[in-house]
Amino acid sequence: MPKQPVQQRILKYAITALIVIGSIWSASGLEITLEKILKAPEQIAILVGAMFPLDLSSEAIERILPKVAESLFIAWAGTVIGAVFSFPVSFLAANNVAANYISETTKQILNGIRAFPELILAFVFLPITGLGALTGTLAIGIHSIGTLGKLSSEVIEGIDEGPLEAIKSSGGSKINELLFGVVPQVMPTITSYWLYRFEINLRASAVLGVVGAGGVGAELINQLRFRDFPRAGTVLVATVVLVLTVDTISAAIRRRIIKGRSIKV
Amino acid sequence: MINLPKKPPPSLMVFAGIPTAVLFSYYCFFKVGFNLTDFKENLENRYLVTDPLFNPKWSWAIENASEALVETIQIAILASVVGCFVALPLSFYASQTTNQNKISYFLYKSFLNLVRTIPDLFWAMMFTVAVGLGPFAGVLALVMFSLAIMGKLLSETIDSIDPGPLEAAKSSGASHNQSVFTSALPQVLPNFTAYFLYIFELCIRASVILGLVGAGGVGRIIETQRIFLRFDRISPIIVLILLVVILIEQFSVWLRRRIL
Repeated sequence: MPKQPVQQRILKYAITALIVIGSIWSASGLEITLEKILKAPEQIAILVGAMFPLDLSSEAIERILPKVAESLFIAWAGTVIGAVFSFPVSFLAANNVAANYISETTKQILNGIRAFPELILAFVFLPITGLGALTGTLAIGIHSIGTLGKLSSEVIEGIDEGPLEAIKSSGGSKINELLFGVVPQVMPTITSYWLYRFEINLRASAVLGVVGAGGVGAELINQLRFRDFPRAGTVLVATVVLVLTVDTISAAIRRRIIKGRSIKV
Repeated sequence: MINLPKKPPPSLMVFAGIPTAVLFSYYCFFKVGFNLTDFKENLENRYLVTDPLFNPKWSWAIENASEALVETIQIAILASVVGCFVALPLSFYASQTTNQNKISYFLYKSFLNLVRTIPDLFWAMMFTVAVGLGPFAGVLALVMFSLAIMGKLLSETIDSIDPGPLEAAKSSGASHNQSVFTSALPQVLPNFTAYFLYIFELCIRASVILGLVGAGGVGRIIETQRIFLRFDRISPIIVLILLVVILIEQFSVWLRRRIL
C-alpha cells in the first residue's frame, strides 16, 4: 500500500500531541482529579432526582409562565431590531453592490459588533437602561445586527448579476437595480436567516436573566439558589418545551420559504 | 404588447404571515417596555458606563485577570476535547446510515436534540449546584454544549456519506462495528477535525461567561467588578478576551487550511 506523505504524517502526530498535551495541561491546571470525575455522575443523579416530580402547583406556573413568555418577547423584539437595522447595512457591506472601501469598512464594523457576546453587551447596558427586559432586548438586538449583517451581506454577494445588468441596460437607476434586481433574489434566504437568528436569540434571551436583563434565566438561578429543585425543574422543562416548539415551527416556515409554493401554470 | 404570463397572487402565508409578524412585533416591543422618550432619558446616564469603559486600567487587569483568563482557555480546551470525542461514537448511533435500528437511532437523536435545547449557562448553573462551584462545573457544562453541536453536525455528515465502502466491508465479512470503523470513520474524519476547531472557538467564547454563575474562568472577575460598576477594570479584560479569541481563530483557520 502507498504510504502517506511524510509531511502529512508529521502534521497528524503534531496535532494529536497538541490535543493530548493541551488536555493534560488543562486538566491539571483546573485541578480536575479522577475522584471528582467519578463522583460527578452520582451528584448529577441526585440533582436530577430532586427536580422530579416537577412543581406544577398553580402558584409556580403563574410565576414561571410569564417569565418564559418574556424570554420569547425579548428574543422576537431583539430579532426585529437586528433585522431592521442589518438589512440596509448588509447592502453597504456587500462588495458587489457598494464600493470596495465602504464594504470593507462596514464589514469590519460588523465584525466588531459580533465580537461581543450578548451577555457582555447586557451588563454594559444595565446601568443605562436598568434591570429588565429592555436591556436584554437591546443586547440581543445589537448582537443580531452584527451576525445578521454578515450573513445577509454574504447572501447579496452570492446573487446572480444577470438581472442587475438587464435593469441597467434598459435604463434603470441604481435604486431600481437594488429594488428589482437584488431584493427579490435575496429576500427568501434573508428571511429564513432572520427566523434562524430568532431561534438562536431565544436561547440567548433565556440566559440573559442571569445578569438581570429579563427572561427566564433569573427564575432558574433564583430557584437553584433557594434550593427549590422541583420548581427549578419546572423552569427548565418549560424552557425546553418553548425552545423545541419554536424550533419546530420556525424550521417548518423556513423550509416553506426556501422551497417556495408550487404554482400551477 | 407582449403577452406576459400572469403574476401569481401572493400566497396565504404572505397575506396572513406578514400582518401577524408585524402585530406580534408591536406586542413584543410593548411587552419589553420599549419607549423612545424613556430611552432618551436613560441615555443621559450613559456616562456612568462610558466614562470608565473608555479609561481602561490595564495594569490592574493584567495583574488580576491573566490567571483567570488562562483558566478560561483551559476550560475551553478540556471541554471541547472531551465533548467532541464523546460525541464521535454517539454520532454514528444517531445516523441512519450506520445505525439501522430505528428505536436506538431515534433515542440517540432525541438525546442529542434535548441536550442542544438547554442553553450553555443553564447547564453551568445546574452543574454548579450538582458538583459545586468552580471550573469543573464549567468544564461539564461546555462538554454538554460541544457534545450537542458536534453530535448534530457529525451525524448529519454521516447521513450523507457514500454507503459503498460500508457495503464492501460488510460483503467481505466485516462485522457491523468493523465496517463502521474502517469505512465510515475515515470518510468523516476530516469533517470531524474541522468541526472540532469550530467548536473549540465557540467554547472559548462561551467559557468567558461561565464565571457569571460561578463556573470558573474570567467571567468570575467580570462579575465581581460589574457589581461595583468598575467598567474601567472590565474593559481591558474584554479587550484581552477579544485578542485571545482572534488569535485562536487565526490559528484554527491556518490549521484548517492545512488539514482540508
